[in-house]
Amino acid sequence: MNNTFEVVSKLIANKLEIDQQSITRQSKLIELGLDSLDIFDIIFQAEDQYGIKVPNPSEEVVTVDDVVKMLDELLAAGASA
Amino acid sequence: MSMPRRVVITGAGIVSPLGNDLLSFQRNLLSGNSGIDHLNADFCEQLETRIAAQCQFNGEQYFTRQELALLDRVSQFALYATEQAVKQSGLDLLSVNPASIGCFIGTGMGGASATEGGYTRLFKEGMNRLKPFTVLMAMNSAAASQIATKYGVAGPNITISTACSSAAVAIGEAAKQIAFGRCELAIAGGSEALLTFGTIKAWEALRTLAQEDPQDPATSCKPFSANRSGLVLGEGAATFVLETYEHAVQRGATILAEIAGYGSSNDFSHMTQPSVQGQALSMQNALRDANLRADQIGYINAHGTGTQLNDITETRAIKQVFGSSAIRIPVSSTKSMHGHLMGAAAAVELVASLVALHTNTLPPTMHLDAPDPECDLNYVANTAQEVTSLEYVMSNSFAFGGTSGVLILRKI
Repeated sequence: MNNTFEVVSKLIANKLEIDQQSITRQSKLIELGLDSLDIFDIIFQAEDQYGIKVPNPSEEVVTVDDVVKMLDELLAAGASA
Repeated sequence: MSMPRRVVITGAGIVSPLGNDLLSFQRNLLSGNSGIDHLNADFCEQLETRIAAQCQFNGEQYFTRQELALLDRVSQFALYATEQAVKQSGLDLLSVNPASIGCFIGTGMGGASATEGGYTRLFKEGMNRLKPFTVLMAMNSAAASQIATKYGVAGPNITISTACSSAAVAIGEAAKQIAFGRCELAIAGGSEALLTFGTIKAWEALRTLAQEDPQDPATSCKPFSANRSGLVLGEGAATFVLETYEHAVQRGATILAEIAGYGSSNDFSHMTQPSVQGQALSMQNALRDANLRADQIGYINAHGTGTQLNDITETRAIKQVFGSSAIRIPVSSTKSMHGHLMGAAAAVELVASLVALHTNTLPPTMHLDAPDPECDLNYVANTAQEVTSLEYVMSNSFAFGGTSGVLILRKI
């Protein structure tokens, strides 16, 4: 189980008040019901949780996996806020 | 220039310390029930004044978590009031030409909780960045823009911030925009959610807040009374659907009242001390706009804050405008029950005026056992008063900073 996916899907489930289990890595953020501001907010919350800063949060993210990979890359690089 | 068009109200909605729907508000208003009580907040220990007129309103009942992430309390109030108003109007706004709809909302402090939450995070908690929606939640135009986005408003979307008269000016200006053809319909009103630690502290510093009544906190706001000690801060919203008389008649809508007159003026003499001349001018402007004689007004919903200066000055200004009729025109301050809602005050008080028109019953000024000798009008003390007929009512709103707004409603 990838911990970042767990965190991101939990944030999404919490925002949308849906079952976390219904979210997969391939789920498209828009199709889940998130708009661009919601995605922005999810990334912000993940940043807070990990103490990192996503340099360009407006970068195209389409699926849950895009968010997870973006965060994982930053975590691996040891980026900090 | 063509003749201005008549403008009517076809929907009203409310979130207030006297209830979050029109019927509850009416019942409490005419029964003399007070919405003032001890403030329920975690910062009360640090306050000198621990009374306020709070709304029993939990946003989670009306909005999803996703929606709430973008909504300060001020926008929650405004949206829920508007949902009621639009429903009552019977209009399907999403099927109306968006460019024909305007939105005019008054607020004093805008998203005060979001502003304060941001400062707390930065200055107190030492975090170095703010939540991403701080601007969208805190900006003064947030409530208006949330309404405009939800209901598809493509006409003028204007936020008015003139302190305590904001909603009167918003409603009056909305009526004029419709009257002169800038839009066909409008959502207009006011919203305020300022019961935050910092805002209350700022009001405390101004030394205008009422002392808590030692026997019963609910009676702490005592307009026109000899023992009045100031105003009580309140929160809430009221919004209205406005449209031309012709449009309302054509679609068979129920008309709640006509906005017969609107007067605005500026009391330039002082930032906080009102003047008789300044207050009188706005009432005169409203009467002239409505093409009415003063003695045609059947009831005045006073600004009536409960401060020493306002209540005497307003009494004198009414006497100046109404002359010999002043003594027989009932005047009441419903702030004695719902407190002072600042940027939303005039909107909630316009609902009180609508209640008076519809029920032929004048809401009382509560907690008025011994009037100030200098306040010697008929203030409908302590009990609602039934009248045989009522055609025109006036609602006064004055403000720190000087901007006055007076509205006159006519029964249709």
